[in-house]
Amino acid sequence: MTDPYEVLNIPNTATDDEVKKAYRALARKYHPDNYHDNPLADLAQEKMKEINAAYDAIQRERSGHGRAAPDYGGGQQAAYQYYGQQRQNTSAEAQILYQVRWAVMMGGSLEQAERLLAQIPESGRGGEWSFLMGQVYYRRGWVDEARRHYQTACAKDPGNAEYRNALDNLNQTRAAYRPDGYGMSSTCSGGDLCGRLACTYLMCNLGGCFWCC
Amino acid sequence: MFGYVRPSEPRLSGEDKRRFSAAYCGLCRTLGERHGLPARFILNYDFAFLAILLWPSETGPVLRRSCPVHPVHGRDVFLKNPALELAADCSVILTWWQMQDALNDPGKGKGKYRLLSKGTRGAYRRARQYRPGFDRTTQEHLQRLHRLEQSGCATMDEPADAFAQLLAGVSNEVAEPAKRRILEQFLYHLGRWIYLVDAADDLQEDFASGSYNPLIRRFSLENGTLPEDAKETLALSLDHSIRLMSAAFELWDFGVWTPVIQSVVYEGLFLVGRSVLDGTFHTAVRSRPGNGRKEKL
Repeated sequence: MTDPYEVLNIPNTATDDEVKKAYRALARKYHPDNYHDNPLADLAQEKMKEINAAYDAIQRERSGHGRAAPDYGGGQQAAYQYYGQQRQNTSAEAQILYQVRWAVMMGGSLEQAERLLAQIPESGRGGEWSFLMGQVYYRRGWVDEARRHYQTACAKDPGNAEYRNALDNLNQTRAAYRPDGYGMSSTCSGGDLCGRLACTYLMCNLGGCFWCC
Repeated sequence: MFGYVRPSEPRLSGEDKRRFSAAYCGLCRTLGERHGLPARFILNYDFAFLAILLWPSETGPVLRRSCPVHPVHGRDVFLKNPALELAADCSVILTWWQMQDALNDPGKGKGKYRLLSKGTRGAYRRARQYRPGFDRTTQEHLQRLHRLEQSGCATMDEPADAFAQLLAGVSNEVAEPAKRRILEQFLYHLGRWIYLVDAADDLQEDFASGSYNPLIRRFSLENGTLPEDAKETLALSLDHSIRLMSAAFELWDFGVWTPVIQSVVYEGLFLVGRSVLDGTFHTAVRSRPGNGRKEKL
C-alpha cells in the first residue's frame, strides 16, 4: 500500500494539526463539487478515496483504534437525482424527451441524446427541449450554446425552477478551487494585471527575430 | 499556434523560470535537430507549454549549448526527449496546416506565410512521417473548421470545438491511459480557449478585411469592437474552459512543472484573456524587456 503520508504530501513527523490541514486542503481540491459534470469525475473520486484512506490510516495508526475520516464527499457518488416529473403525456415527443433526460442525467451518450433531440420537429421544441439541449452542450463544455438554450428554456417556461437554476448556476462564477495565494477566478475581474504577463525573461525567439526583421 | 499561453511571472521562482526557459530552448533545439533550421522559426510559448504537459516523469539533464541567436554564451537547454520530439512534430504539423489555411484565406496578407511555408515544407514532410495519425486528424479538423467558416457559422462553440478537438488529438500520442484522458480534456479546453481568445484578438482586423470571425456573427457586431455585455458573455466561456483545465491539471502529477502549469491555469490565462479583451495584450507583451513581437501563425 502507498505510504499514507506520501499521499497527503507530508512528512511522517507532521503534527495532528498538520495532518488535518493537509487532508482538508486535498479534500477541497478533489471535492466532487469541483468535478460536477466533468468527464474526469471518476479520476477525482479515486483521488478522494486515496486521500480518505490515507487520512484514515494515519488516524488509526496514531490513536491505536479505528476512526473514520470526516466525509468530504469522497464516498458519495456524485450521482444525479432524477427530479424530473413523470410525464403524464405519453406522446412520442414526450417519450423521446423522457429518454434524453434520463440519458443526460445519468451520464449517458451525448451523441445519442443529441440524435434523439434532433428527431423532434421545430414545432414541438418547448422549454424542456431547449433545457435538455443546453445540458448536452454544457456536458461538452460548450458553455455559450448551453447558456443560450437555458435562456430559451426559461423564456418558454418562466415558472420552471430547474431551468432557472441551471441558468443561474452557469451565469455565476462559481467559487472553484484555487491553490493558496491565487486570488483570481475570472477573466473579467479581480487581480492586478501590471507586470504579470509573462515569461519573457531573456528568452530569445528565432521566430520573434524573424518577424521583426 | 499563437503564443497566448504564458505563465504568470511573479508566481515562479528563479529555478522555475530557468527550467521553463531551458524547455523552451530545448524545443527550439529539437525542432532544429529533427526538422532543420527553418522549423526553429515556428517556435512559440504555446508549443513550449505543450512540451511540458507531455514531459516524462524523469526531468533529464540541462546542458549549456550555443545556438544561432546566442553563439557565444549559449543557453541552458534540455536535451531531446520524447516529449520535446512529440511537441516538435505536432508544432510543425499544426503550423504547416494553419499556414496553408492562411494562404488560402483571401482576406489576409500572404508574404510571410509563403516564405515560411516554402522553408518548412521538408520539415512538414518529416513530421508527417513520424506522426501520420496526428497529421490526418489535424487535416480533418481544419477542414471542418474551414467548412464552418465558409458557411458563416453563427455560434462560437462549434468552430471552437473543431480547433479544440484538433489540439486534443495530441493526447492520442500519449501512451499512459490515465494521462491520455487527462490531457485530452486539458488540451480540448486549452484549444477552445486559444481559439476564442484569438478570435477576440483578431476581431478588428477581421472586421476590416471582411474575414470570418465567429464573434462577429455570434454577437451581431456592427463594428470591430465587442460591447461590454458581449465581453462578459465571452469571458464566461473562457473562464469555464480555464476551470476545466485546472480541474484536469490537478489529477496528474506534473512533477517539476507543477508551479509553471499552476501559474498558467490559475492566473496566466485569466490575465492574457483580460488583456486581450481590454486590447492591451500586445502592448503588455511588447513592453517586457527582451521580448520580440508576437509571432502569429
